[in-house]
Amino acid sequence: MKSKPKKYQLIIIVFTLIIVLLSLTFHSVKRSSETGIFKKLVLEIAAPLMDVINTSFEELTKGWKRYIFLVGLEEENRQLKKKNILLTGQLIQYQEGYLEGIRLQKLLKLKENLNYSTITAMVVGRNKLSGFQTILINKGTAHNLRIGLPVAADQGVIGRITEASWHVSKILLLTDENSKIDALVQRTRTPGILHGSGFISHLKYVPKTDDVRVGDAVISSGMGGVFPKGLLLGFVKSVDKRDAALFQKVEVTPSVDVARIEEVLVFLPDNDDKK
Amino acid sequence: MSYLFFLPLLSLLLIIFQVSVTDIMFFGKISLEISLLLVIYAGFHLKVIKGFILSFLLGFFLDCIAGSISGLFTFIYTFLFFISKFVYPRIYPEKKSFIVIFTLICALLEQLLVILFNELIYGVNLFQHILRIFLPQALVISVLSPVFFNIFFRLEVLLNGGDARSIRRT
Repeated sequence: MKSKPKKYQLIIIVFTLIIVLLSLTFHSVKRSSETGIFKKLVLEIAAPLMDVINTSFEELTKGWKRYIFLVGLEEENRQLKKKNILLTGQLIQYQEGYLEGIRLQKLLKLKENLNYSTITAMVVGRNKLSGFQTILINKGTAHNLRIGLPVAADQGVIGRITEASWHVSKILLLTDENSKIDALVQRTRTPGILHGSGFISHLKYVPKTDDVRVGDAVISSGMGGVFPKGLLLGFVKSVDKRDAALFQKVEVTPSVDVARIEEVLVFLPDNDDKK
Repeated sequence: MSYLFFLPLLSLLLIIFQVSVTDIMFFGKISLEISLLLVIYAGFHLKVIKGFILSFLLGFFLDCIAGSISGLFTFIYTFLFFISKFVYPRIYPEKKSFIVIFTLICALLEQLLVILFNELIYGVNLFQHILRIFLPQALVISVLSPVFFNIFFRLEVLLNGGDARSIRRT
C-alpha cells in the first residue's frame, strides 16, 4: 500500500505534467514560430523512410494492378480468340455463299445463252489417284442424266458423262486421254479433233496450211451430236509446224480449270424435261 | 537500457508505418491508430516512467509527422496513458471485451479532444466528421485492439530477452 502523501504526490505530478503539456501546446500554437530542432530532426529522418515505404507500396500496388490487368487481359484475349474463330467461320460461310452465288449466276447466264435444257449439279468428287481425268457430280439417272451427255461450266466445256447411277454421275474431262471432241478454231473455222492428254489437250488433224495462232479460241463444232455447237473448249497454247508430218501440232489449254470446278451444267437432249 | 535506446527508434518507425502503410491500406479514408493502442497498452503494462516516455514520444512523433496542432497528440497520448494507468488497478484488463470497450472510449475521447482543440484554437468545426470518419475509425481500432495487445505483449517479451514471467501482467 502506498502512503497517502506519496499517492497525492503522484497525482500532483501527473496533473502538473498534463497542465504543462497543455500550456506548451497552446503556447506553441499561439507563437507559431519556426519549426523546432527536434521536429526538424524527426521530419528529416521520417521523410526518406516514408518515401521508401510509399514507393515500395506504390510499386507493389502497380505490380498487383498490372497482374490483375493481365489476368483480365488473358481472359479477354481468350474470349476474343473464341469470337474470332466464330466470326471467321461465319465469314468463310458468307464468302462461300457469295462465291457460290457468283458461280451460279455465271452458269445461269450460260444457260440463258444456250437453247438447251440444262441441269445444274455439284461436283462431289475428283479422281486424283488413277490416270483418268474424271469427276463425280451429285445428279444421276434419277435426274434424267445418262451416259454421253455433255457437261460444261461457266467458262466452257469440261467433258461428258461416262457413267451414271441414280444420283451420281461420272464425267470424263476433256483433258483425259480418252476424250475426243470435234472442234473448230473459232477465228479461221479450221476443224480438228480435240484430244485430251493430261493437263492440256491437243487439236489434232489440223493441216499445216491452215492458219492457227497462239491464243485462238477453240470451240465445239456441234458435229458428232454430243456437244452443242459454239461452246468454248480452250485456247491455243502453242503451234508447231516443224514436224515432217501432214498436220501441225497444236496445243490447247482448256478454258476451264477442272481442278477448281464446283458446279456444272449438264446439257439435256431436246426431248428431255426442263429442270 | 536497451529498451530506452530502442524506444525512440521503434516509436518513430511505428508512427512512420502507421502514417504511410495504413494510409495506403485504407485508401486514406480511415487511419489505423496503432500508436493509440500502444499508449493504452503502456498504461496497462508498463511502469509510469517508461510508459510516460513512450506515450510522450509517440505523441511527439505523431505531432511532428502528421499533426496540425503542435503538441496536441503529445498531450492527448500522455493524458490517455495516465487515464489507462488510473483505470488499470480498478478493473480486470485482461478480458478482451473490456479491452475493446476501453479502447473505444479512449479513441472517442481522443477524437473529442481533437475536435475541441480544433474548435478552440482554429475555430474549425469538425463535428460533421464524427459519423463519417471518427466513429468508424474508433470502431475499427477497438475491434482490432485485442489482436494488437497480443502482438505488443509478444514484442515486449522479445525486448525483455524472451522471458514472459519477467513482464508484469495481471
